[in-house]
Amino acid sequence: MRVGIPHFGNVHVAIGAVADRLGAIRGKDIIIPPPMTKKTLDLGVKYSPTEACLPYKLTLGSLIEACELGADTLIQARGTGICRLGYYARGQELMLHDLGYDARFLTLDISHHKFANLLRLMKDITNDTRGNKMWLGEVISAFFFGIAKLIVLDRMEKVLYRVRARELDRGMANLVYKEAVEATNDALSVREVRKIAREYTGRLNKIPQNPRADPVKVSIVGEIYVVIEPFANMDIEMELGKLGVEVERTMTLSRWVKYSLFLNYLGINEWRKVHKLAGPYLDHDVGGDGWESVGEKVLRAQEGYDGVVHLAPFTCMPEIVAQNIMASTREDIPVLSVACDEQMGKQGMLTRIEAFVDLLEFRRRKRDGRKVCNAG
Amino acid sequence: MVKVCIPRALLYYQYYPAWKTFFERLGAEVIISPPTNKTILNLGVSRAVADTCLPVKLFFGHVMSMMGKCDYIFAPAVTSLGNKAYNCSKIIGLPDMTRALIPECPAILGPEINLDKGRYHFYRNIYDLGRYFTSNPFKIKKAVEESWRSNLAYQGKMSSEGLTPVEAIDIMCHGRQEPDSGPAPSLSLAIAVIGHPYVIGDDYLSHRLIHLLESMGVKVLVPEMVPEGTLYDAAKRLVGTPHWSFETDIIGAGEYYMEEGVDGVIDLSVFGCGPDSMMVNFVQHRAKELKIPFLHLSVDEHTSDGGLLTRVEAFLDMIKWREKICV
Repeated sequence: MRVGIPHFGNVHVAIGAVADRLGAIRGKDIIIPPPMTKKTLDLGVKYSPTEACLPYKLTLGSLIEACELGADTLIQARGTGICRLGYYARGQELMLHDLGYDARFLTLDISHHKFANLLRLMKDITNDTRGNKMWLGEVISAFFFGIAKLIVLDRMEKVLYRVRARELDRGMANLVYKEAVEATNDALSVREVRKIAREYTGRLNKIPQNPRADPVKVSIVGEIYVVIEPFANMDIEMELGKLGVEVERTMTLSRWVKYSLFLNYLGINEWRKVHKLAGPYLDHDVGGDGWESVGEKVLRAQEGYDGVVHLAPFTCMPEIVAQNIMASTREDIPVLSVACDEQMGKQGMLTRIEAFVDLLEFRRRKRDGRKVCNAG
Repeated sequence: MVKVCIPRALLYYQYYPAWKTFFERLGAEVIISPPTNKTILNLGVSRAVADTCLPVKLFFGHVMSMMGKCDYIFAPAVTSLGNKAYNCSKIIGLPDMTRALIPECPAILGPEINLDKGRYHFYRNIYDLGRYFTSNPFKIKKAVEESWRSNLAYQGKMSSEGLTPVEAIDIMCHGRQEPDSGPAPSLSLAIAVIGHPYVIGDDYLSHRLIHLLESMGVKVLVPEMVPEGTLYDAAKRLVGTPHWSFETDIIGAGEYYMEEGVDGVIDLSVFGCGPDSMMVNFVQHRAKELKIPFLHLSVDEHTSDGGLLTRVEAFLDMIKWREKICV
């Protein structure tokens, strides 16, 4: 069995780690498709329903690439929910069969009993691959190794956001972070992962920075796939960083894993505060991440952020509800809504965020009666 | 008398008889907004975010057209109709979006209908809704029961007599005469038109597609003409347990009518409809397997009568030509 996965942020690092621990060989037992490119998108667009949303098209493209590399078992998320995600696996399976790939779909139900489903999925795969029964403890240990990598990467990303907005030599921080991802991907033990984290965080912090910089702060909210996968949002975080903007985003993979797989079972809801703040405008779930987007806008306004960038796939239902409501909340904070789809052009996006950042700086000057010191 | 306005959009086509009975039994006067026209569309488009789908924009337009003419606007959030199936986010967030986009509109009655949360939650919300009009719980209970009966009568009328939702509402609520069931004109083709009732039923949105087909001598079949249980079973055969309540009717009807052997299937959906974009794909795939002609019509603000007519004519010509060759 050769397992293929679609790309989603740094998920491939975690899955690679789990596979290593379970004795699977990368490229043979587990197939991680090449990083997403224009080709992935074109493949996805060509074989998707026209009006499907961008995450559907991108994951389909990614899975086709995995199939081309010989994957025969594909993993896709599933859920009985309000959003289109519930039908990704079915639609994509139908399309891949039409294309002649004889791939089996293993779906991961992320709406109910997530943790049990995940362990069961991992156990099924390993049992099939190795031919012998796997002890559950081994699976769990491998799983935590994968999570450790995710946590480390997300922590380094937070440092990256801070440094990127202040560095004197534009682009240094990104290079270091990219190296860090590579190194983490190759690490073989938790100790090694920790060492890498220390080393690269140190290197990030040592990058020469402008001590007087006071960058505008922008929060990124929206639909989880386009927020986390840089290819889907045209690297908007990096582009904002290049303009000297400090980016912050709540939604990260490690946070999702931490809460959805563990703490939610104990009755801890990571979004409780956000939902409460959204209350006056929207007081119930509308599927996807719509409710959270509205609440986070209110939260960021109270925390003194300068602006919010709202990312959503084109025609995403929950985010359209959020967008309609966000525009008329009392909290006064500019929101830039970006609809991500295959028609999006890099230059067009750059122009929009430049104008947005100009607006934020202008507002700041007006508020403080001083000039914003922009790094670089 | 308290005036409650039901906008002639979205779920109006599915539940109007039930809602009307409910409010009238509670002593309110029910008024509905006028049929969709250009002004209403423009009002809606002016407020909503551009990506919003057309029926929701129309809903806002209808709400705005009734401003100052009523005391309450009825805009329920129909979240789930049970079976772990939900509705589109935009229907769930309808009262909240209306409140946010049209701050000057009259008080909104927006109960959350979520049968997935259990009976108590449902009864509680209906009771709270009734409390706007009366403090007598028995009166509310009676209104609910009558409303349920009229809903069953409405659905029964459509499935037994083969009426479209608009025809059934006209007969039941607006006292229009039943059409003479004289000698049925010889209809050469049977075509299933699948889509949301609020798209097919709205003459402005659908560009009178049903009338157009009927004038061309086609027998039109819509999802509501089949009993709900049959549709659910058909949908289950096609995609397993459906996640979206309203899509069940659409794909179920597609599957059911194709098995019955219709001459063609037309899917009428609006641009940007999330559930349709996924589900119609399965029907289309099935039509390919069964070799049944399938036409996907996507309408938006810019669709013109002429363009639609050309496509429908070409589709019908293709079916007739195909039958000639096969025979």
